[in-house]
Amino acid sequence: MRRTEPRPQPALTATDGDVDREAGVARLFDLHYPSMLRLAALLGADDPENVVAEAYYQIYRKWRKMRDPGSAEAYLRSTICNLTRMRIRHLQVVRRNIEALLPESVASPEDSVLLHDDQRALVGILRELPARQREALVLRYWQGLKEAEIAAAMGISPGSVKTHAARGMAALTQRMEARR
Amino acid sequence: MNTVPDDMERRLRETLDTLASGVHPARDAYRTARGDWLRRERRRRIVLALLVAVVFTVAVLIGLWVLNQAPAGTGAIFTEPTSSPYPAGHG
Repeated sequence: MRRTEPRPQPALTATDGDVDREAGVARLFDLHYPSMLRLAALLGADDPENVVAEAYYQIYRKWRKMRDPGSAEAYLRSTICNLTRMRIRHLQVVRRNIEALLPESVASPEDSVLLHDDQRALVGILRELPARQREALVLRYWQGLKEAEIAAAMGISPGSVKTHAARGMAALTQRMEARR
Repeated sequence: MNTVPDDMERRLRETLDTLASGVHPARDAYRTARGDWLRRERRRRIVLALLVAVVFTVAVLIGLWVLNQAPAGTGAIFTEPTSSPYPAGHG
């Protein structure tokens, strides 16, 4: 992400560790923020900006404990998966309890892009899949990750990744076929 | 995964790409997020400092109360009347 606005400088009283942390997190933000935002949106978060900001805050807090800055991307991805899953679960509980008080629909990415009917249907089915299956499909087919990387992001075994992806794909295929 | 038609995989990829292309980060996302981190970090440190101060104060008060409950008289170990091991006038 290229931005022309001046980056806020760390406070003069900050220690070297704070300066390193600020610089490291800012670099991570530049490198990964757009893709992490898209990941959160594709996973079904209703407020992807907040989910991603929370994930970056987690990494900001734990910066000094991180031994390998190269693992930050995987950590961010894993945190976003977890936070989105928790958020969706929370919303499901809320909707179940106070359905009448919630708005009819929440603005989602598909509202702002031009999708064919088939694609819109596919997105609808994808959103109805269990969270784990949706995560496996998005990480595999959008991010193009390997099974081991998906397993690390989802916190499950590679075998379970295969199962979730296969079940999700089978459900998508079956329901798209039924729609014709 | 072998039973899934390649066409379905291709359609899913295209759909996800199209969907992702509609998500754009805000221009001031970093500034907003950083302000939030700093505010939360400051609040976390203040809460932590207050918690430590409260625990310390409570521990000190409990210690003072316990010490205050101790009997004012001489301790049990000194209840016996003091007596010289030597008979009076011996040394």
